[in-house]
Amino acid sequence: MSEPLKVLLLDDEAIVGKRLKPALTKIGCEVEVFQDPKEALERIDQKEFDIVVTDIRMDDIDGIQVLEQVVNKSRRTKVIMITGYAMMAVAREAMEKGAFDFIAKPFKPDDLRKVIARAAEALGSPIDFDTPTTDNG
Amino acid sequence: MEQPSTREKSSSDVPNLANGQAEGPKTLEGHYDRIRAVESARKALLARKQLPLRLQIYLSFFLVFLFAAGIAAALIIINIQVDGKLRFLEITNDFTLEIVQARRFEKNFFLYGTNLDDALENVYHAKDIFERNKGELRKMLGEKVQGIILSNINRYERLLEQLVAMRQSQVFSPDNLDNKKEIELELRKSGGKMVTFAQDLMKKERESLARILSRSRKTHIFSLIILLIFLALNAYFLGSRVLGNIDRFSDYAQRIASGDFTPITPARRYQDEFTDLAIAINQMILELETREAVLVQSHKMRAVGTLTAGVAHELNNPLNNITLTAHMLLEDYNSLDDDERKDMIKDLVNEAGRSKKIISNLLDFARESTSQMEPLHLEEILRDTVALATNQLKLSGIKIDFQTTENLPRIHGDIQQLEQVFLNLLLNAIDASSKGSKIQVLVIPADDPNYVAVKVIDRGTGIPEHILHSIFDPFFTTKPKGRGTGLGLSVSQGIVAKHGGHISVSSREGQGTTFTVTLPVTTIPAEITTQTGFSGLI
Repeated sequence: MSEPLKVLLLDDEAIVGKRLKPALTKIGCEVEVFQDPKEALERIDQKEFDIVVTDIRMDDIDGIQVLEQVVNKSRRTKVIMITGYAMMAVAREAMEKGAFDFIAKPFKPDDLRKVIARAAEALGSPIDFDTPTTDNG
Repeated sequence: MEQPSTREKSSSDVPNLANGQAEGPKTLEGHYDRIRAVESARKALLARKQLPLRLQIYLSFFLVFLFAAGIAAALIIINIQVDGKLRFLEITNDFTLEIVQARRFEKNFFLYGTNLDDALENVYHAKDIFERNKGELRKMLGEKVQGIILSNINRYERLLEQLVAMRQSQVFSPDNLDNKKEIELELRKSGGKMVTFAQDLMKKERESLARILSRSRKTHIFSLIILLIFLALNAYFLGSRVLGNIDRFSDYAQRIASGDFTPITPARRYQDEFTDLAIAINQMILELETREAVLVQSHKMRAVGTLTAGVAHELNNPLNNITLTAHMLLEDYNSLDDDERKDMIKDLVNEAGRSKKIISNLLDFARESTSQMEPLHLEEILRDTVALATNQLKLSGIKIDFQTTENLPRIHGDIQQLEQVFLNLLLNAIDASSKGSKIQVLVIPADDPNYVAVKVIDRGTGIPEHILHSIFDPFFTTKPKGRGTGLGLSVSQGIVAKHGGHISVSSREGQGTTFTVTLPVTTIPAEITTQTGFSGLI
């Protein structure tokens, strides 16, 4: 396995980070989890991530702003948006602004892993995504 | 006869609805109570004596007719009397003329010895007149007077005939001369008496005629005055009965329009056509109330629809947490230690609880529960309402600034309906506000110490002044087609009015809008009301 994928995960729901961090680490990602968009943006400034996964709707700074900042800093970084129900308009806006893909809540860990695997492929460093899953695996 | 008696709001057999203004008909139970109230009002209305308006009109016109007929009859009688008098006067006049003429000839005879036959002829004429009109004269004079006149004329005639006989026999002996003198004397006396009598009679009859005519005049004038008074009184009573009732029903209409659906109860001691109207209006109240209840409910369901979007969105978060946690638990079950597993299960439980909480507010609000008037703390209602709109606020990125005053008196109301009002104001404020702005909700004492006020203030677009006065009109909306029914504020106004309160708006374009709802504080102690409840009073 080559260099691990550097992933930043931003969601104001604590459980999302808590569960996804081990799930993504398992497929060879190096995951940093943030709940506060401000802190996440600061970190993005400091470090170039391969993939940024961010929720769209958050209280102070929304996902679109995060997307804009990431796109400004590094065009290489793939941004995956997490959207809620009935947020298709925002999702479309995100895609226009350069998001790699979006994933709608509620989703399974595998759903995100698949998107991340595609992003990794697009980045030219495919990951081996064959983690055993219990339900559909 | 129809002094409008005091307008009692309820009679003994109509349930006195405690705080009837604020009574809620939203439920089937409330509606049945209203049906019962309307039915007992109907019975009370119909239990009174009948005094139809139609009867009063017919009766008064009949009385006027009778009176006019009486006047006409009196006129005819007087006319006949006058006619009789005139005829009598004519006869007496002719009679008197003949007698006077006879006397003139009599005088000539005594002076010149001529015209004795002419005198006699006049006497015959007079007698002839008398005989011809015997029947009428007897009626006018009576038999006694008639007899006296007849005997006078007969005597005069006899004396004249004696003179004629003397003249024919040409016997003018000294005895005869004496005799003649005697006859002359008697003739004069008798003639004089006859003339005087006739003239007296004429005079008397003229006076009598004058009296009849004067009486006739007076009768006319008095009849007219009495007729005028009667017509005036009739117009007054009929008018005040009709107009008074129209005023009363106009008051009822206003009361019903303001949302007070208490049935009309007896206000007078008798029933008439207006009773039918009252019964019809009571029936209409039932219909209106049903429709209003449907309207309020359907509007509530619209609000629920709006809230559902927010709830559905908000529900995604716990649902996502549950999905992720459950999948990871399943995936890593064997590699996890007990504490980690427990932590994950705890998360599952908590997130399920969170989901329930998100929908339970809405379900509480949406549920069609029994309408109950009870003492309520306004700030609690507002807190619930804000909680209900939380998802919507989050979705729209709007903050709420909620301030209440400590120890405000309670109000008396239906919690569901009031929540509906405040939710409507809040959702309107959210619609008007832009992302990131703030909505202020204040629960404060009103200017009037018997009221408390709720203010919902947004810093949104504001309402243009030219439409500010129409915003409470039904079907008035500024929202795009399909987004607003235009019934929200109208329904809210109806609910607030039912609670005896008032809703007002002030707005400045570009600066924001303030809606103020004032509600009367309750004076009913909590213990009593909570035990009996509203429906218990019916």
